[in-house]
Amino acid sequence: MSLSPSEQSSGIDLARYHGWHGTLRNRWAGCLAMVRVSLLQVIRRKLYWLVLALGFSMFLIYWSLIYALAQLNLPEFSEQILSRFQFNVSPTPGVESGYVQFMNQQSVVVMLLLALSGSQLVGADFRLRSLTFYLSRRIDRGQYIVGKLLAVSTLISALTVLPALLLFFEYGAFTTGREYWLANWQVIPAVLGYGAVMCFTLSLMLTTISAYLQKMAPIAITWSCLFVLLKTIAVKMARETGNSHWLLLDLWSNILFTGRMFFGVFPERNDGLVVGMNHAIAACSVLVIVCTICTFLLVRRVRAVDVVE
Amino acid sequence: MAFLELHNLAKSYGRVQALRDVSLRLEPGAIGLVGNNGAGKSTLLKVLLGLLRPDAGDGSILDLSILHETARVRGLVGYMPEITATVPLLKGAEFVTLSGDLYGMPHREARRRAHEVLNYVGLGELRYRRLDEYSSGNLQRLKLAAALVHDPQLLLLDEPTNGLDPSGRTAMLRTVEDLIAETGKSVILCTHLLGDVERICEQIVVLREGTVILSGKMDNLKQATSRCYDLMWDGDGTEFVRALKRAGTEISTLSTRSNSPNSLHATQDPETDTKSENSSPSIQGSRNLRGRNANTIRVTVERDWATHSFFQMAKESGIILRRLKPVEENLHDLFLRVTAHDSLDQFRGLPSPALELGESNSHDSA
Repeated sequence: MSLSPSEQSSGIDLARYHGWHGTLRNRWAGCLAMVRVSLLQVIRRKLYWLVLALGFSMFLIYWSLIYALAQLNLPEFSEQILSRFQFNVSPTPGVESGYVQFMNQQSVVVMLLLALSGSQLVGADFRLRSLTFYLSRRIDRGQYIVGKLLAVSTLISALTVLPALLLFFEYGAFTTGREYWLANWQVIPAVLGYGAVMCFTLSLMLTTISAYLQKMAPIAITWSCLFVLLKTIAVKMARETGNSHWLLLDLWSNILFTGRMFFGVFPERNDGLVVGMNHAIAACSVLVIVCTICTFLLVRRVRAVDVVE
Repeated sequence: MAFLELHNLAKSYGRVQALRDVSLRLEPGAIGLVGNNGAGKSTLLKVLLGLLRPDAGDGSILDLSILHETARVRGLVGYMPEITATVPLLKGAEFVTLSGDLYGMPHREARRRAHEVLNYVGLGELRYRRLDEYSSGNLQRLKLAAALVHDPQLLLLDEPTNGLDPSGRTAMLRTVEDLIAETGKSVILCTHLLGDVERICEQIVVLREGTVILSGKMDNLKQATSRCYDLMWDGDGTEFVRALKRAGTEISTLSTRSNSPNSLHATQDPETDTKSENSSPSIQGSRNLRGRNANTIRVTVERDWATHSFFQMAKESGIILRRLKPVEENLHDLFLRVTAHDSLDQFRGLPSPALELGESNSHDSA
């Protein structure tokens, strides 16, 4: 008995090869796939869960606090209570925005996470030669670099920009009327700008360091030296010599000061050293130089990889 | 229809000339790309993949320029690298999906297609396993699936059976054979294992020092070189070998069929080497099989060669032929003969010819 055409078409044959007749998308779409896979890789390592939990705990504390104050319905006290937790939702001149403070606090966790995950996100591509796999597909070296920078940036944003914006929207949603939104709308571009500085510089530096060092221990050590040791040296030298230019060696603070420019604040350092507008611009210049060097080294490193061996 | 055409392609790395004046015209089908280490295979593959711009020359693959349409070329080509280039912590299906994404497939399509090709290569049951749990054989299959995911018209397989046990190798070759037979896809097989090439490929390209020294259809190749004889004799064969050479035969003693057919390196008998040092240049490399006076050589003759001429020459040279055995020259023997031309030529005083099968044959060049 022969099969009818509908019966034949409804059958499956997994043992046979079936063609595909779709249309290929733009090559840049491959960068998004790299981001997705990189995040998947981070989530699959339990070591990173701990750091991510640490990162999200601060956000959850503030989130719960805002929610609790909104439920208590004490609008006149909520700002005061939040400011006691160093979270000034409506900053006044001389008082730093709570969102800046929040992002600064989060940057500690970000630094820790990046130091540990650099080997997984980027180093493994060189160590285990996954780069050959990426580059033998349709994407080119530039798209690979952009994909990796986006992947690291997404991780940074998930711990800084996204929670800060969520807190802003949460607080705004619990206020009555449009006054809060109208008075503080600049927070959104400021958070995005600060986040962009953090994402761009940190992702570029991490990708470059990981491309060369590849393993977790050397990456973590180098990362610590760049952001902790240099900070210590910079402060010591500035104190000893009385020359604040030494502070420009402190890359972490350079990122923070550059980022704060988007909020329009140039506060004093907590170590008592004076920093003004000129220092912020100088810090920005240092970051530009560092990023240029990193770009040059990264391109050079990626170009050195042979796809066909 | 030529699906791959290269015209006077050249590429150098500093002072090292990796490709010299490479011109090829290949028809769709299975093509074997072979050559010794440093012959220029990798450079040629890079050029074909659009990863490397040649210094001179141009070409097209699937009617796309390898100079100006590299991204489109890679969209039509599936590349399976030799090394285990996988992404850690991913599962099989995710890895193949990622491959599809990177080729530019819509994500949903890539995911569906990943399951399909994994089933096809026989990894349907293992698709949710992490890549670090895959055996070497399964990793090779996985890489094949990753190369197939976007349904390319051409597959570039770089040592696909590398590191596989015999059963794994057979299974991989069978999959590739089925793929060619079922879908009509073209395959460029770059390998050191000439047995694989002989089994799968219809056309072959042999590279030596960046130059194409042999290219054409395998059938023509076998037809052109099918008249070979193994000769063994007792006594001093110097005069006999000279007579053979005067008659225009090609003498090759670098290997026998009993040696590993998959190795590119001939196995030299130490005793032979010792003997050859003391003998005349024309019989260097002859193999001592039965005592000091029994020697054997492989002779390639023209198709109209009369077999009794061997006996005539032996009689005139004062030796007794103990064996005259026609043999079919396999790809391994031919490869050794062609790539070892320089070393043999020093004994023969013959120029090193480039062989173009189908247009001329090895006898003409000799």
